[in-house]
Amino acid sequence: MSARLVSLLIAILVLAALPWLLPTPYWRGILVLCAMNVLLALSLNLVLGYTGQLNLGQSAFFAIGAYVSTILVKTYAWNFWLASLAAVAAAGLLGLALAAFAVRLRGHYLAIASLGFAVITYQVLVNWEKVTEGVRGIYGILPPVASTTGLFYLVAGITLVVYVLIDNLMRSPVGDTLRAIREDEVSAASLGVNGALWKAFAFGLGAAIAGLAGCFYPGFVGTLVPDAFNIIESFTMMAMVIVGGMGTMIGPVIGAIVLTFLPEVLRDFGEFRLMIYGLALTLVVLFMPGGIVQAWRTLLRSR
Amino acid sequence: MTDLLTLLVQQSVNGVYLGCLYVMVALGLTLIYGVLNQINFAHADFVTVGAFAALFTATRFGTKVLGLPDTGAYLLSMVAALGAGALLGLAINAAVFAPLRERGDELRPLIATIGVSVLLENFQLWLLGPIPYQFDSPFSLETIRIGRIFFTAQSVLVVVAAALAIVALYAFMKFTFLGKALRAVAQDRETAGLMGINPNLLIALTIVIASALAGVGGALLGPVLVLTPFAGATVIVKAFAIVIIGGFGNMQGTIIAGLLVGVIEAFTVQYLGSGLIDLVVFVLLLVMLVVRPTGLIAERKEENV
Repeated sequence: MSARLVSLLIAILVLAALPWLLPTPYWRGILVLCAMNVLLALSLNLVLGYTGQLNLGQSAFFAIGAYVSTILVKTYAWNFWLASLAAVAAAGLLGLALAAFAVRLRGHYLAIASLGFAVITYQVLVNWEKVTEGVRGIYGILPPVASTTGLFYLVAGITLVVYVLIDNLMRSPVGDTLRAIREDEVSAASLGVNGALWKAFAFGLGAAIAGLAGCFYPGFVGTLVPDAFNIIESFTMMAMVIVGGMGTMIGPVIGAIVLTFLPEVLRDFGEFRLMIYGLALTLVVLFMPGGIVQAWRTLLRSR
Repeated sequence: MTDLLTLLVQQSVNGVYLGCLYVMVALGLTLIYGVLNQINFAHADFVTVGAFAALFTATRFGTKVLGLPDTGAYLLSMVAALGAGALLGLAINAAVFAPLRERGDELRPLIATIGVSVLLENFQLWLLGPIPYQFDSPFSLETIRIGRIFFTAQSVLVVVAAALAIVALYAFMKFTFLGKALRAVAQDRETAGLMGINPNLLIALTIVIASALAGVGGALLGPVLVLTPFAGATVIVKAFAIVIIGGFGNMQGTIIAGLLVGVIEAFTVQYLGSGLIDLVVFVLLLVMLVVRPTGLIAERKEENV
């Protein structure tokens, strides 16, 4: 068996065992949240880590996934899976819409434009009360499976599938193309790479995956309010990618796990919790520029 | 004057006042970008810290300890906010921008300052609590009336302060040696270094000036904002939009864009409702990025491979 197949089997076993290792309902809830965060971090890593596009608006696609799926289920009585499919498509299309701007911009311009995109989405959710209920929120949303353990298996399973798909994609020539754009777009263009096309592809796919994560969020929490998709959410996703190690497959997974569990572990510190979170983020960037993955590799090499 | 004309003039006056507040905040961002090519996300929190520093200087120190009248205490508080901002600028340069400068990366300093922002916000939350503070400027009570147009002494103070800051900044950039050196560093850091200019010192100076502006901006915004530890964040997204609309690193563009956004905001409140301000501003931003991605005042830059 190849090493990749072995790691995949180990991953499946660990995922299967996790709900039994953390048996309280509270920790099982955190597990579901963690699986969703891994999915979000993977989606952002595709755009930020592999294609090198400074996207600060990923929370918008998470929001679209959540709102479209919920509204279709609650208002139009769609089947959850059909609604999710539509929501993923909607998020993907919106990603392409952002790409229409993004292909012309780079660096900090793109960062602020995508931030603006997230702000606009948030404002539409707040102001379009007829459809989104505005700040009052939508209540009584049911998850697709009743038990928390079941929901974890569902989200974690989907996340694992997405992981394997992205991993394969990044090993293919498509991955090389995206990395070439990240390293030097002008040089890539001189080798015949259509930068605009592939950036749009990365944005669209990344947005669709974030939208997929959004489909499971409302049922898990039970309510849906615009504040869950504040721009801070985009920063949190970015922190996960950076802390883990962007541009690697496993990095964002580790980052999402660490940053989901860190606030829980720090709960005893009460008010200092988020201060430590902010400080940790700054320190990681300063002292571990390649994130946990790179720090780990350096550690292995020095032994 | 007809009623409509009065309304238009009145809202324009309000808009210019708002615009001047935004300019104070956005100028710092654009200054740092012009010299360093970096974004400081914690700039928002420098505004908040400036506002709180001003509030406590005015109410706890100015009137109580020094026995100043309210107006004097408020003016003193602006100085305190300036100092607080400058100190924060010094700190963030030493902690984040200086160590990360060598790596030539646009992403990591951005993330590091987001971390600093989270840290500062939650530190203030711990210190001051989530309940909004009441920050009254004594100048807000004085109403001035010209014809049928009304405005407060506070808005005059804001416009004067912004104008002073802009004039001082221009004079500094144009006529002093340090200003010239600063422009040299902005243009080409390495060559400036070869000419005997210490770029590190000048970058530090830029960040300190920018942050001091944010501090003063906080003192002036304090009476307008819902003053919580997260107050700056509501202003900063607009300041970012202004900086982009004006063209990153372009001071003139930022000033024009700031006033423009202020006026647009005033008319949005009048005709569409205050809930839609951010929506209108950011749609304008996206339109702007399509029509003129280099900002209002374009600077040509060649692409190096």
